Amino acid sequence: MLTVTALSKRYTPDKPSLEAVDLQADVGTITAVIGPSGAGKTTLLRSLNQLLKDDEGQVCLDDVDLRQLSKRDLQKARRNIGMIFQNYNLIDALTVLENVLHGCLGAKSTLAGMFAHYTAEEKQEALKLIDEMGLSDFAYTACKHLSGGQKQRVGIARALMQHPKMMLCDEPIASLDPKSAQMVMTILRRLADDKGLIVVVNLHQVDIATEFADHIVALNHGRKVFDGVPADLQAAQIQAIYA
Amino acid sequence: MTPQTFFRRKQRLMLLTLSGLLVSYAVASIALGFQQGALLQVQTGFLWMAQNFLPTAATFKLLPAVLFQLWRAFIIATAAAGVAGLLSLLLAVIGAKNLGQRHVTVSFLIRGFASVLRNIPIIAWALILLFSFKQNELTGFLALWFMNLGFLTRAFLETIEDFDTGKLEALIATGTSRPVAIMQGLLPEIATPTVEWLLYMIENNVRDATLVGLLTGTGIGFLFDLYFKSINYPAAGLVVAVLIVLVISLELLSTHIQRSLT
Repeated sequence: MLTVTALSKRYTPDKPSLEAVDLQADVGTITAVIGPSGAGKTTLLRSLNQLLKDDEGQVCLDDVDLRQLSKRDLQKARRNIGMIFQNYNLIDALTVLENVLHGCLGAKSTLAGMFAHYTAEEKQEALKLIDEMGLSDFAYTACKHLSGGQKQRVGIARALMQHPKMMLCDEPIASLDPKSAQMVMTILRRLADDKGLIVVVNLHQVDIATEFADHIVALNHGRKVFDGVPADLQAAQIQAIYA
Repeated sequence: MTPQTFFRRKQRLMLLTLSGLLVSYAVASIALGFQQGALLQVQTGFLWMAQNFLPTAATFKLLPAVLFQLWRAFIIATAAAGVAGLLSLLLAVIGAKNLGQRHVTVSFLIRGFASVLRNIPIIAWALILLFSFKQNELTGFLALWFMNLGFLTRAFLETIEDFDTGKLEALIATGTSRPVAIMQGLLPEIATPTVEWLLYMIENNVRDATLVGLLTGTGIGFLFDLYFKSINYPAAGLVVAVLIVLVISLELLSTHIQRSLT
């Protein structure tokens, strides 16, 4: 379970990016974080795996406060947290297979990681994940030749290669066409249902959030302004959030 | 502002620039007393060159010796660029601001060091090193190496600083360390420009090796100097011809490699 307590972050003293945000996400659920641009969604998500050091609060994954961990322990903890990005952040020059295998770099020694030494089992698993994402024909294709939807599926496969407990998705469908967006969200739904992952996803599309999420958190000016199930989110509230 | 004023302003700027360039030539020619008439004799000069520098059948006997020196120039050029390239890449990774170099001094020192090395002309390097290492191939190698180190460090720094660090962050988010993320994320992405710079440097080194050889009394440059000073112009022409062939071949190879990388 993910428990966030009173998380705060300020880039400038007078303007908080996050102000005492609480959040709870159970295993096997999707939590959608919605809100206008600059509301603090990305700051929140990046604080959850401590890519961004927040100022105050607690981020507990299975009762371990990530904020209190040493650099080395944080690296270990990150292995349990997969992350996908709006602009995919794949290594375009490398093939789909190599990008997916990057997901297990965190579990390797520095030397093995430096020289990309992967075991036969890891390669087999990567190929299986590529197949699950419907990308078998592209396993040996450089990522620069893929479409946005395909790249995002490679990103998901890379995150799954980590065997994560939690998936953080920073606006994963913002750059995709509606069909690819549906496909990516369906995959995330399946991961929550079948693998019991905690999925936290930043979204701009409220309709997608209500369709796929179990839980919605809305942010505005760094403050939490809604926290509940999709059915509780009324049109007037949506208007207020994006006002 | 109306479109007419906007485009008139642009045209005026273009005219001013062109006039500025012509004026700079006029000032230089008046100040330094250029013999403008010599420009009209340029075809005579080319004719003389063609008559005297064209390799004759007899000069082709010297071809093995010329090719041997050319081969040595080529391997020195490649070795200097290769060794400098490795160290430059390391310096650039350490100094690049976007890879998390928090100490401005380190970044500043690396940039400064690279600029100093790069801005000392190759001839000056050769002359400075001549005192310490005397007339031998190592002097030539080091002159090229120092210049390459400065040039490539600056080039790699700029290449790395154009890199989207979100990709590194994605790898760090998997729980891996920064060095591994750099090795697996940065290097594949900058491989193409890095190889392009190295190939350019090798091409450049082959040209510079001739000049360095003239000063250090070694290699292909020495051979050219020897033939030229002994008034064996066809043999000197042969040296120039094989150099041109090598540089063009390197350019073609470089274009082929670049195409296969992209």
